[in-house]
Amino acid sequence: MSASVSVAITLAVPPDEAFRLFAEEVDQWWQRGPKFRFRPRSQGRMCFEPGEGGRLIEIYDEEARDIYVVGRILAWEPGVRLSFEWRGPNFREGEVTEVDIRFRAHEEGTRILLEHRGWEVLPSDHPARHGLANAPFLGTKSGWWQEQLAALQRLA
Amino acid sequence: MSGPDEIDHILAALADPTRRRMVDLLRDGPMRAGELAAAFDISAPAVSRHLRILRETELIEEDEAGEDRRLRVYRLRAAPFADLQSWLEEVAAYWTLQLAAFKVHAESGSARKKGRKK
Repeated sequence: MSASVSVAITLAVPPDEAFRLFAEEVDQWWQRGPKFRFRPRSQGRMCFEPGEGGRLIEIYDEEARDIYVVGRILAWEPGVRLSFEWRGPNFREGEVTEVDIRFRAHEEGTRILLEHRGWEVLPSDHPARHGLANAPFLGTKSGWWQEQLAALQRLA
Repeated sequence: MSGPDEIDHILAALADPTRRRMVDLLRDGPMRAGELAAAFDISAPAVSRHLRILRETELIEEDEAGEDRRLRVYRLRAAPFADLQSWLEEVAAYWTLQLAAFKVHAESGSARKKGRKK
């Protein structure tokens, strides 16, 4: 039994381009605000350091080297696969989940399959909102998500 | 409904590989404690301890029938899994929103590029 989540989406650009935009322009598309970013009060710049051994980070002050490290990049295969560790702000030392993203050629362009796994490793005395960033995760504010999803469906 | 604390306990119960395997086995149907114990190379008290933790989180339940503990039948309970599932659905909602935002960005980007080519 493992606790994982899978999400998929299709977009009208080829896999190589989808991968490039996903990684290089991450700060432009990554949702803003404390529910999606990693510090509640400061807005940073999201950045993938390219290549295996790189990291996904949010940079608050480049000169002062003030960054948040989401995790190390585990797989960097342009146009095919991007995998990285994921640590929420409240995770403790050694606690880590994993995001694995596949880019597949599709008649419309690219099919992106995202799996976020490893949630079962987090121990019991963890703060309830140990999930993604400071997102209101554990059901307490699920109305917020429903509203967001409904808004997206209206746009689609 | 279970609150965040209960979900934390569920995740803690499932963080242990032996207990995850017990849950996997019980997915195929109810089993006796003795049958469960036979599937693991650990002591009877250790098996009992794992079963107790799973029972306390209400991931499994036991039939009280029978005096002999080894003959007690364990089965999965659906409710805690539904709670965990609903939490995971919120993780999924997070990524659904992120990927939807990425789609908008990527497709508007490619539209801009096509525009430039013309």
